[in-house]
Amino acid sequence: MDSINTLVSSITIAKPWGIDVPNYFWFTGSSAAAFIISSFAHVFGWKKYKPIAGIALLMAFVLLVAAPLNLLDDLRQPGRVLNFFMYGWENFPTSPMKWGGLLLIAYPILIFFEAQALYRPYFVRHAQQGSLLAKLFTFGNMDLSEAAREKDHRKGYILGAIGIPLALAVHGYTGYIMGAVHANPMYHTPLMPIIFLASAMVSGTGLLILLIPLFQRFLSERQRVDHDMVATLARLLSWFIVADLVMRFLWLTFALTFGNGEKYALYHYFTLHFNETLWIDYVLGLFIPLIIGFTKLRFIPAVVYFGGFVTAVGVWIFRWNTVIGGETIPRTTPGFLHYAPPVFGQDSYISVLSNWGILFALIALVLLVFPWDEEMEDCYEGVENEK
Amino acid sequence: MDEKNSRRDFLKKGLSATAFATLVTSQAEAFSMQNPGRDAKDAKYIGQVGKHFVMVLDLRKCIGCQACTSVCKVENDVPDEQYRTFVTETEVGEFPDPRKAFLPQLCNHCADPACVPVCPTGATFKREDGIVVVDNTVCWGCGYCINACPYDKRYFNERTKTADKCNFCAHRVDKGLLPACVETCIGGARIFGDVNDKTSEVYQVLQQFPTTVLKEAEGTNPQVFYIGLDSRLEELYSTTQSLDDVVKAEEGFNREWMKARGEEENHG
Repeated sequence: MDSINTLVSSITIAKPWGIDVPNYFWFTGSSAAAFIISSFAHVFGWKKYKPIAGIALLMAFVLLVAAPLNLLDDLRQPGRVLNFFMYGWENFPTSPMKWGGLLLIAYPILIFFEAQALYRPYFVRHAQQGSLLAKLFTFGNMDLSEAAREKDHRKGYILGAIGIPLALAVHGYTGYIMGAVHANPMYHTPLMPIIFLASAMVSGTGLLILLIPLFQRFLSERQRVDHDMVATLARLLSWFIVADLVMRFLWLTFALTFGNGEKYALYHYFTLHFNETLWIDYVLGLFIPLIIGFTKLRFIPAVVYFGGFVTAVGVWIFRWNTVIGGETIPRTTPGFLHYAPPVFGQDSYISVLSNWGILFALIALVLLVFPWDEEMEDCYEGVENEK
Repeated sequence: MDEKNSRRDFLKKGLSATAFATLVTSQAEAFSMQNPGRDAKDAKYIGQVGKHFVMVLDLRKCIGCQACTSVCKVENDVPDEQYRTFVTETEVGEFPDPRKAFLPQLCNHCADPACVPVCPTGATFKREDGIVVVDNTVCWGCGYCINACPYDKRYFNERTKTADKCNFCAHRVDKGLLPACVETCIGGARIFGDVNDKTSEVYQVLQQFPTTVLKEAEGTNPQVFYIGLDSRLEELYSTTQSLDDVVKAEEGFNREWMKARGEEENHG
């Protein structure tokens, strides 16, 4: 019997996580992706990716330095950040947030040392020309011999190899945070860490497709974009999109069709948001860039930049739909909740924009400090000499 | 092995080990598996050892007067527009046979809570008498517990800027009083006590009546039990919210009547 129920009055609470959280997830995810792409050359030895490996590593670094600021802003008591490190260690096995604290410290330190090993010979040259900052970054090792450079290479390889699982973990744990919340039908799937990693590879590659040509065209010695690289990245992006689509297919088909009571919540959510999910999240954000990378369209740079842009934005929207969308699903009171971030203050549009501002400031800083340009030039010369 | 080197090695290692040990012991007070209050064995944090507090809500007796809702706000100094407990009011059924149904809700003080194990600061924990509490001097306001609670019974207290929730009025219970909501319930719908005490009312009621809990499938093993719970009250997607006071306040009465007459689709 279908019963007619009408709610007369009830109270529902405001949900804790705001716009900072999807932004944080996007930053860590893109950082992990940039690190993996840099490891293609540094660990797996794929020469094709060598010229962009250094800049990808630096982008992984800045994204991860800027990311935790989102978390600080999302805290209601940011002044008590030390409590996280001092208390509550008995919850370590069951609180993925606790793991995150350690990962967020270890990962940027590791990237920094890997970048130092990669750029040390260039720092030595700058130091010999009298740069004090470069001298600092050589860590006192001014040896330019073949053996010393081999040692740097070996160090970079080892740090890169340790860094791959660390990069996967630093983003995977965020998916774990979500997946562990069994109270939320949108979050609660063991696939969540993998879904997050797959979409992170998409957003990170999309971001590099936008940034690398920009650096090459306007900031490098060559003043020329490597169009082959752009096409290569577009194809790589398409493969990451395939992985992402497979993960999302598995998740949604199981959750919506074969799930227990949770399926009704998701069914109602996706009915309510059907059009924007289908057209923006899937068609524009995934299928169109997928086609670009797998067809001759990838040789048209402007089209690839468009593809990179919509994937980067699309994954941000996916993060938003998962985190915020999941929070709008009711638990005790009928009706979906609404959330619009405030313009100013904590957890606001301005705080997220400021975070992006910090990201770009950090990008400018590492581009000034690290001799990325010379290293990239050397890689290109190496490739051309081989030809 | 060179003897001279080994002696120097020994000294070096010994010194660094001593330095490390000194550092660790001097910091030992700062680090805690739990939190300072629990480490100090403060009675507020440990609770009444040997007891296990539960609540039974007899829905046959609830008339939806919201006396519990208001006394809780006064007793616990809960900020405006925020609530630790409240009574949901629903109309079930169709003319000519509708009836009002009430569902008082509060923290379930679950035996296997979803909120406690995810807390990264150890600010929220279960006392030995089963009461789940938050130490608002430790909580850093990350909100993980709020999202983890399947019952939406945690919220950010606007004044303390920390997670807050019902604590069965632990400050009263520790003095031998009843929680404020139980004390004030005019219908006697709320029954509270130590379930380990076989002479207690709550034990007797749990023995004599079939009870159920909210969202049993979440596996949290709630310690707030209901007598006469209608499963339709947990229906979220077939219940319309067209008379919801919040909607009235937000959208005005005209819109409300349009919805009631079916002139406008309601996504509730």
